[in-house]
Amino acid sequence: MENNDQLNRFFEEMKAKDEGLSVPPFPTQKPKKLNAWIPIGIAASLTLIGIAVWFEKPVPDPPAEVIIITLQQGENQQQEITIEESTYLETWESPTSSLLTEY
Amino acid sequence: MNRTQLDHLLKLHHREAYLWARQCCSFDEDLAKDVLQQVYLKILEGKAKLKEEEKAKTWIFSIIRYTAIDQLRNAGKIVSMEVDEEIADFEEEVDSTDYEAIIRLLPRMQQEVILMVFYHQMTIGQSAEVLQISLGTARTHYDRGKKKLKELISIAQTQAQNGK
Repeated sequence: MENNDQLNRFFEEMKAKDEGLSVPPFPTQKPKKLNAWIPIGIAASLTLIGIAVWFEKPVPDPPAEVIIITLQQGENQQQEITIEESTYLETWESPTSSLLTEY
Repeated sequence: MNRTQLDHLLKLHHREAYLWARQCCSFDEDLAKDVLQQVYLKILEGKAKLKEEEKAKTWIFSIIRYTAIDQLRNAGKIVSMEVDEEIADFEEEVDSTDYEAIIRLLPRMQQEVILMVFYHQMTIGQSAEVLQISLGTARTHYDRGKKKLKELISIAQTQAQNGK
C-alpha cells in the first residue's frame, strides 16, 4: 500500500492556493445576428445609389470649341473686333501683348 | 459531436484546462492564456477531433500540452524532453509553501505525471495517453517523481524549521 499522505497534503495545499488564481472567462461565441445586417446594408446602399442617380441633375456638355473675341487696332487706326473659334485656349496669345512689353 | 456539445464540453473542463495550461507553461499565466486560446481555436476549427467522448479530459490535456511545448519553443524557452534528468543540487533555500518552485525542481516528464495524478486526479494510464508514452514508462516517471518530490518536500520543510 502506497503512503502518499505527504504528497496528498502537499497537493491539497497547492490546490487551495490556486483557488485564488483568476481563471480567464470561457470565450463566448459572438451572436451571428450581425450577419443579418449585411444584406440589409447592401440593399440600403443600392437604394441610396439608385435615388442619387435618379435625381442627379444633367450636367451640360462642355462646348466643343472655345470662342476667342479679340479687340485689335485695324489698318485705319480703328478698333476691330475679331472672333475666332478654337478647340483649345492654351496656345492662344493676345495679339496686343507686345504693347505691354513696349511700355 | 456538434458545435454546441463541444462548447459545453470545453466549458465543463475550462478551469482545469487553464490550470493545466499554466502548469505546462512553467506557471506563466499570460502564456497559459495564449495556449488555451489556441487550443480552443484548434478544436473549434476541427483541427483536433475527439473520437471518444469519455476521454475528453485526456484529449484536451494532450492538445494543451503539445500547444504549450510549441509556444515555449517559439518563445525561446526550449523544453527539454530528456528522460533521465537529475535534480539540480537543492542547496538553495526554497520556501516550503512555494509549491510551484518545488515542482519545477523535478524533471519535466516527472512533473507532468505527478501533476496529472495528484493534482488533476487522473490515473497513470491517462497520463500516459496525454504524454503519448507507454504505461510502463509513465509508471517509471511516476515512481521517480514521487520519490524525488517527497525528498524535496522534506528538505524544504527541514530548511523552514531550521530557519525559524
